[in-house]
Amino acid sequence: MNGRFLRGGYLADALAQVGAAGLFFFSILGALPKSLRYVRETVRQVWFVGAMSLVIIMTCGLFVGMVLALQLYHTLSIFGGTEALGTVVALSLLRELGPVVTALLFAGRAGTSITAEIGLMRATDQLAAMEMMAVDPIAYVIAPRFLAGVIAMPLLACVFNALGIFGGHLVGVTWLGIDNGTFWGNMTANVDLWDDVVNGVWKSLAFGAVVTLIGVFQGYTTPPTSEGVAYATTRTVVFSSIVVLALDFVLTAFLM
Amino acid sequence: MSDVPMPRPDEPLVRVRGLSTRLGGKVIFDALDLDIPRGSITALMGPSGTGKTTLLKHITGQMRPDAGEVWVDGRNVPELGRDALFALRECIGYLFQNSALLTDFDVFENVAFPLRQHARLPEELVRNIVLTKLQAVGLRGAARLLPSELSGGMARRVALARAIVFDPMLILYDEPFVGLDPIALNQVLKLIRTLNQTLGITSVLVAHELSAVRRVADRVHLLANGKIVAAGAPDELARGESDWTKQFFGGEADGPVPFHYPAGDYARELGFDGGAA
Ligand SMILES: Nc1ncnc2c1ncn2[C@@H]1O[C@H](COP(=O)(O)OP(=O)(O)O)[C@@H](O)[C@H]1O
Ligand SMILES: [Mg+2]
Repeated sequence: MNGRFLRGGYLADALAQVGAAGLFFFSILGALPKSLRYVRETVRQVWFVGAMSLVIIMTCGLFVGMVLALQLYHTLSIFGGTEALGTVVALSLLRELGPVVTALLFAGRAGTSITAEIGLMRATDQLAAMEMMAVDPIAYVIAPRFLAGVIAMPLLACVFNALGIFGGHLVGVTWLGIDNGTFWGNMTANVDLWDDVVNGVWKSLAFGAVVTLIGVFQGYTTPPTSEGVAYATTRTVVFSSIVVLALDFVLTAFLM
Repeated sequence: MSDVPMPRPDEPLVRVRGLSTRLGGKVIFDALDLDIPRGSITALMGPSGTGKTTLLKHITGQMRPDAGEVWVDGRNVPELGRDALFALRECIGYLFQNSALLTDFDVFENVAFPLRQHARLPEELVRNIVLTKLQAVGLRGAARLLPSELSGGMARRVALARAIVFDPMLILYDEPFVGLDPIALNQVLKLIRTLNQTLGITSVLVAHELSAVRRVADRVHLLANGKIVAAGAPDELARGESDWTKQFFGGEADGPVPFHYPAGDYARELGFDGGAA
């Protein structure tokens, strides 16, 4: 890879990959009507990626909320505004950290396993076998997983947010002694359903789409060798992280 | 499928004309012609890497050639659109080199997979068809095993049961004997012959095992350098006088298929200057 980078072929390769992933996205959209037949497979995949990521999402959500409360308490106490703690914890989570951190964790947990699974199906000719049985693997394998990712991501982000707010409450109210009524009252007064909660859900949907698209694309196009599958899973995490953070900036700028 | 003109019964089921393919800058096929008669068992033999698998992929439309025609049951495969291709594939069984069973499903569901995808059948009928096919390959008792629990020979037979679940007109076997012990090899061999004789399924067999091929194949085509270099009944070919057949069936290390991969001058590469010699 380094050699290619020095020769300047790396950028061209990356652009070609982005183009190919875009075309792949359209072929998934094209296969969606056919994949409606596989509702059960989609439900199974939502269950699968959701259950797979749930524990890590809950744990991380709790700790992120607790750290957030500690840090923000410190900052707010400088201005003597610690009663706003509930509000700022909730806003940070709902608008920003919930969707982004969930997407990064999802890429590492579910995205990699989607890539490895599809890559191994490629390497063991299972995708070719489906083609030979006149079953479109895009409709049967790819589209349900893609849909599952898009559906699961906002749900997981909600779980993350809930646990994060709980963690913030734990630190702020139970430990640092902020009044319980102030914490919740301030939060509910200042958090707007549309501006804050729904914006976060939009972000989550977008992240779900790109992370899962990267996961299925890397798996589907991997060279059919063990080395190829290994590289593909790594690329899923790297590309997902970059794209999620970049897209987060763009979306925040537009949704503000 | 009904809009396709009925092909004449005496016409070959597969007719390849002027097939030319290059892969990665290497010529795989160079104006190859091949006929596979209906109801026959035809073996394709040839050194590794000559394109036997590629030829099967052309026949099933998994790969398109650069030029040439591949007629299967009156349809020119490279010209078929996706839907027509899928319709054709429903009448073709394909046995992959590594069985390619779906690892998510057990043996029963693997065999049932094509049925569930293409036909809305009552569960009882699916069960009956699947068990019949599994019985035919001798694995009815293994219906609830997972692919990871099967031996190579059993996996091959499950894949075969799956390939015949729609009673295809053509089965393509890609190296079905590789890695099988003599017993499993004979079981697969017997199945190939039984399927051909009882159901009249035209069979194309890619294999290296001459002794096995002699026992089932009606005709053998020897593929090398992008062409059919010899064709005939197995015994005829084994006795053949051409350099190709002699090397291939005699198992000589060197001959028309060179022992040495193309390379530069040996002495020069070792550092002895060509001028000194
Ligand atoms: N997708 C591909 N791209 C480039 N070369 C390929 C591809 N598939 C096969 N080949 C090459 O084509 C040749 C024929 O392959 P194959 O049909 O698998 O041979 P075999 O007769 O052993 O089945 C091999 O040399 C292989 O390296
Ligand atoms: Mg091969």
